[in-house]
Amino acid sequence: MLNDKVTEAVDRYLAVIRKHSAGVSPVERDEFIEEIRGHILDRIIATNGLTQDRVADLLRSIGDPKKLAAEFKTQVMLHHAAKSISPWLMLRSTLRWGMTGFAGAVALLITLVGYGCTLISFLCILLKPFLPDHIGLWLGPDRTITLGYWNRHLVGSEAYGISVRPPFDFVLGTLGRTNGPVHDLAGQNIYTIGLLCGVAFLIATTLFARWMITRFASRKRRHSLTQETSQAQPRYAE
Amino acid sequence: MVSSKDMLPAEDRIATADPWEAQLRKGSLEMAILASLWKRRLYGLEILRALESGSGLGMLEGTLYLILNRIKSAGLVDSEWVDAGSGHPRKYYRLTATGEERLRAMAESWSDFSAKINELIAPVLRRQELANVER
Repeated sequence: MLNDKVTEAVDRYLAVIRKHSAGVSPVERDEFIEEIRGHILDRIIATNGLTQDRVADLLRSIGDPKKLAAEFKTQVMLHHAAKSISPWLMLRSTLRWGMTGFAGAVALLITLVGYGCTLISFLCILLKPFLPDHIGLWLGPDRTITLGYWNRHLVGSEAYGISVRPPFDFVLGTLGRTNGPVHDLAGQNIYTIGLLCGVAFLIATTLFARWMITRFASRKRRHSLTQETSQAQPRYAE
Repeated sequence: MVSSKDMLPAEDRIATADPWEAQLRKGSLEMAILASLWKRRLYGLEILRALESGSGLGMLEGTLYLILNRIKSAGLVDSEWVDAGSGHPRKYYRLTATGEERLRAMAESWSDFSAKINELIAPVLRRQELANVER
């Protein structure tokens, strides 16, 4: 039979896991928490003369509940993302994964750039009716091509959006001020171009992010999880 | 043979573990977990005990459940809740056919690799034994 203080300590521990795994589906979260609860109860059953100190030791041997919950959440998110085509889920998953290591950071960077391009392409379609003279596909000096906003200055000209200057320059933003003529390459075709570019960037980025997660994320998770073995504290044989 | 390191408490043993040794243990953890489930079903605490007694592999205990969750997602193990009369249900794990296949492949790779490495380090161990005898 558990005394109140032990029950309170266990409940508090599990409540931290619950709180920090918000966003995971209730079914998956509850199952995970129930399993941890079962583990704690098994350990308590196997331990004679349970004191508060020993409960604290026991909970410590399971691990920091915040880290455990965060790792669980990332794991669940990546698992779902590997089977999903939702850009929102890809973005959230790579954001979490990006904080944990090099492969995740690379995936995050490319995903951000890809979805950034998608956003700019769709923004061009939305803003063209309101800023017809500023939104377009602009050809500037030095063969700079920009899909986005041009300030219409011939001296100190700046264009913001997806800027490309073949063969090497590519930015989300502006490649810097220039002087000289700027031509609109698309006219009213900007709607078609924006739509095609947006859809292409959206699909390519989503597929790429999913491929990265499938190919590298599970390996990364394995590393990050097993890292804790170096601080292992097997205490169940008390 | 029992080394002096084996006689230390678990925490001290891990704290003094060489980073290389820690890496080696990390790399074999998934295989050890799958192997503990070979032809039987176990719940979390039993898996931990099997790992500790069978391989000396220890870990933060919550980590085991994350690994089990991941290998379950990968289809290597299956689980079911069983009310075993302990007052609370326990989640038992068993290998799936895919898990058995994967474990066989891992075990074969491990066996080949360790046999070659053992051959390579045999002279080192022999020399050490000789030195011990001379002492």
